[in-house]
Amino acid sequence: MTPDKKFTEQESLELITSMIQKAKDNFHERGTSAILWGTVVGFCGLFSYLKLQFKIDTGSFDVWFLTLAAIVPQIYLSLKESKNVKVKTHTQEALNAVWLVYGITIFGVVAYGNIVPGATDEILKMANKMLLQKDMITGEVLPIKAQVYSQSSLLLLVYAFPTLVTGMVKKFKPMLYGAIICYILFVLSLFTQLKYDMLFNGVAGIINWLIPGIILRNKYLKGKSSL
Amino acid sequence: MFKDLDPILHSQLRLSIMSLLISVKEAEFTFIKEKTNATAGNLSVQVQKLKDVQYVEVKKEFKDNYPLTTLSITPIGIKAFEQYVKDLQQYLQVK
Repeated sequence: MTPDKKFTEQESLELITSMIQKAKDNFHERGTSAILWGTVVGFCGLFSYLKLQFKIDTGSFDVWFLTLAAIVPQIYLSLKESKNVKVKTHTQEALNAVWLVYGITIFGVVAYGNIVPGATDEILKMANKMLLQKDMITGEVLPIKAQVYSQSSLLLLVYAFPTLVTGMVKKFKPMLYGAIICYILFVLSLFTQLKYDMLFNGVAGIINWLIPGIILRNKYLKGKSSL
Repeated sequence: MFKDLDPILHSQLRLSIMSLLISVKEAEFTFIKEKTNATAGNLSVQVQKLKDVQYVEVKKEFKDNYPLTTLSITPIGIKAFEQYVKDLQQYLQVK
């Protein structure tokens, strides 16, 4: 291609169209990560079902630990793919943000399932209470591990999702900080009673959306008045 | 009354560079070279011209001990490109 070759308006428009098409043609998802996680989660789910259905004894082996092992090839694949990427698109960046925050959310849900029962036991102990399970036939009463469903904790995790994605894609710091604070509140809420969880929900609402919203509103009004 | 087409953009190679960059966030120099079939020397000169008028931003860094040049379109470049397309449409409607 010659640098300063003059051309007609029609040729100019055709050139723009063909170059935009060339840029578009370059983006193909390889699907490697989707295949990896689809295989691991699919296998773990089916294996767990078969184990429960046919009462297969696998000892202390938990098949879901394979999902932790899959993180290693995922990191390797991500590094390898990022080395080969010659172009970054806005769409790809937004999708990366969505999947990253999804990963954080899954990690949070797993942490929730592991921490909340123990923490709930502690809270009950402090109130001189414990959870018991009664066998309706034998009448035997045994202590059980608490599995109290704390919706307000999980909500904090969900609140942070769109806020962090928006903050990352729009590079809007108030939402980035809001989401990080929301994650901190989520971790704290795993160990606290419902009334504090409610307090954290309120704080999260203010930090996640109210403050960034006011900042956005002020920017919008400033932009409108300068027109 | 027609506006003159932006002389910086009304050049085959420079317009190709800008058309590629308008669709992406950033692209490596080698990607632009591959898609435009231009020589590295030619491309460097035209990129420099676009950089001089602040239509593109050039980032130079090292990746695995190799120099890596990344290009991205600036807000000024986006505005100029949009204006160029508008002017182009005006010409074409009349013809």
